[in-house]
Amino acid sequence: MHSAYGIPISWFLTVSAMLFCIGLFGMMIRRSAIGMLLSIELMLNAANINLVAFGSYLKLPSIAGQIFAIFVITLAAAEAAIGLAIVINIYRLEQHIDADKITAMKQ
Amino acid sequence: MITGYQLAFIALAGMTVTAAIGVVLMPNILRAALLLGLTLIGVAGLYVLMNAPFLAAVQIMIYVGAITTMIILAIFLSNRVMKIGFFQAIYNPILAAGAAGLMFLFLFLTVANSEWIRAGVDVGPANSNVGVEAVSRALLQPYVFPFELASVVLLAVLVGSVVIAKEDTADA
Repeated sequence: MHSAYGIPISWFLTVSAMLFCIGLFGMMIRRSAIGMLLSIELMLNAANINLVAFGSYLKLPSIAGQIFAIFVITLAAAEAAIGLAIVINIYRLEQHIDADKITAMKQ
Repeated sequence: MITGYQLAFIALAGMTVTAAIGVVLMPNILRAALLLGLTLIGVAGLYVLMNAPFLAAVQIMIYVGAITTMIILAIFLSNRVMKIGFFQAIYNPILAAGAAGLMFLFLFLTVANSEWIRAGVDVGPANSNVGVEAVSRALLQPYVFPFELASVVLLAVLVGSVVIAKEDTADA
């Protein structure tokens, strides 16, 4: 009897790899800056799943995985706030948020 | 024989991955943001299965409650054209799918072929103290410096985002 859960860690790692690659795909195909931010959130969540999985599947379970995930969530909130502020400012300047056509900093 | 936990995992993982595919493929960015909320709820469920209930609550409150709301507000403030077709919303998808597929293949082969996973940690989450008390002890004893640093970062972000998003009036 290994565990009441019966879920191997490789299942979690596979789901995390799927989320990361979906986020990577979205990052490459989206034109709008907000769409890219959504994809970044997906990738950050994939990393969090890995951290928590390894933290709780260790022989001597470590709380460090959860602590790291909490810091990642904090910094993701910070990144989303700054990113969306920049997006709103760019929209005000150029009336679009297409990441390829932003020229506000080109002179 | 599939246990109830495995069934819950399959349901949650299926919901998470399906909603994530919706996030990247929806041409309407508002629907994509709402599906991101569903993805994050699925990830919170996975945290519960990994024996991290406090983190699941944090995920629901901060990610689903705050970040998704902020993204939706930004969409309302910045997106004039809500109805755009799929191919106006994206770049060349074939190349991106190839690159992401290769990355997934690499990661999956790494996960599936790792011996140390089978030998060492493939026994399910250990039932030790990982609740609120353990998290708070860890945050205030060994990790107190990053904790305080995070609060400084949040203060800087608060000031910075207000300054960036503020309307540029004719400054004196």
